[in-house]
Amino acid sequence: MREFDYLEPASISEASEMLAAHADNCRMMAGGTALMLALRQRMVTPTHVISLQGIRELRGITYDDKLGLRIGALTKHSELAASALARKHVPMLADMASRLANPQVRNQGSIGGNLCYADPATDPPSCLMALGAEVVLRSAKGSRILKVEDFVLDYFVTALAAEELVSEIRVPPSSFNAGYHARFLRTAAEHRPLVNLAVATKKNGDICEEVHLVAGASTAKPTRLRKAEGYLKGKSITSRVSAEAADIGASEIEPISDLRGDGEFRRSMLRVVARRTIRKLFGLSEGTEKNVA
Amino acid sequence: MKKKTIEVVVNGKAHRTEVAARRMLSDYLRDDLFLTGTKRGCETGVCGACSVLMDGEVVKSCLSLAVQADGHEITTVEGLAFGNELHPVQEAFMKHGGLQCGYCTPGFMIMAVALLNEKPDPSEEEIRRGLNGNLCRCTGYVGIVESIMAAAEKMRGH
Repeated sequence: MREFDYLEPASISEASEMLAAHADNCRMMAGGTALMLALRQRMVTPTHVISLQGIRELRGITYDDKLGLRIGALTKHSELAASALARKHVPMLADMASRLANPQVRNQGSIGGNLCYADPATDPPSCLMALGAEVVLRSAKGSRILKVEDFVLDYFVTALAAEELVSEIRVPPSSFNAGYHARFLRTAAEHRPLVNLAVATKKNGDICEEVHLVAGASTAKPTRLRKAEGYLKGKSITSRVSAEAADIGASEIEPISDLRGDGEFRRSMLRVVARRTIRKLFGLSEGTEKNVA
Repeated sequence: MKKKTIEVVVNGKAHRTEVAARRMLSDYLRDDLFLTGTKRGCETGVCGACSVLMDGEVVKSCLSLAVQADGHEITTVEGLAFGNELHPVQEAFMKHGGLQCGYCTPGFMIMAVALLNEKPDPSEEEIRRGLNGNLCRCTGYVGIVESIMAAAEKMRGH
């Protein structure tokens, strides 16, 4: 790791000024779990690391009937998992956070840091996107709000401008009454999903009245499976319908191929995960789900 | 500010040290405080051998800078025993063969202590899930899980 200056701003405006002053030569640090790896491998060599830990405005979880759940960017995954407000209003998100990576990383990494790093092999982006979440960006100049799909643009690329930081994530109230964030891990010891699928739905008995399907980890950025959503909407969910929806969904992604998995393997596993998750949400039985956790 | 003076309480003892901003917490503990019980394993946040408690929560010290520990309380494996009396988790690992080469053991014991603080009566499944961030590459996990089950029972007063 190269030497760097460690800066500790106390407010968003102070941080924003530092970001503007050091531009490409600086990196923001929230929990630091991902940045630490990149620094050590010298994938990034900033002259300044700006720690956001001292900014109180970036903390806390609140709920408001109009805006929904507001999650401070520095909220650790373990805090989100344990939050009574998150568990009550967006249980699917709290449940995802309780299974993410491993216990140590959940105690160190933050939801805001996770989104800003835009690593595809992670769970929060697809889960938040299925829930219609928004990202609040702030700088010394003002603020703007983007949907998750407009924030996470590509492989490790976000819409964050040089002087901006993410202050909070909002999950608006919705009519969804069931959902699950499913993950496929190549081995039980691996913490980075090869494929994930977030399913948020409004079900009425066995009828799927509304559904959002977002695939992640298998693609450069989270991908809405709009054809599969259209196919499911209004249908009574049977084994045949869930299998057909899974086939349609798997055909909609442009999978990434890398050392961890070939693109077609990822597509096949998305099909399996989609079928099992839809079945599970609509109370249809399935055998043991190895590595789908 | 390439250097910073940090105040950290490690195993109950207060330390005030000037460290380089780039100093890893694991290196600070091992090379500055000579607490070599905390191991450097993969140094990529996967194996968990470097696990320590920060304010009672388990974290990976190879994924943390020493400056991030400023103002916090750290417990390493050296801080588990009460004087000459071993922690029930340490005793159980000895009695139930929860180790072979021993390199991953400090991390597993720290994780076990954190797990049992949160869930004093865990099921085997909960223990296995809780150990998700720690790897053992020689003995496997049967002895480790048995050790933690036994420690849990002892700590509950049986």
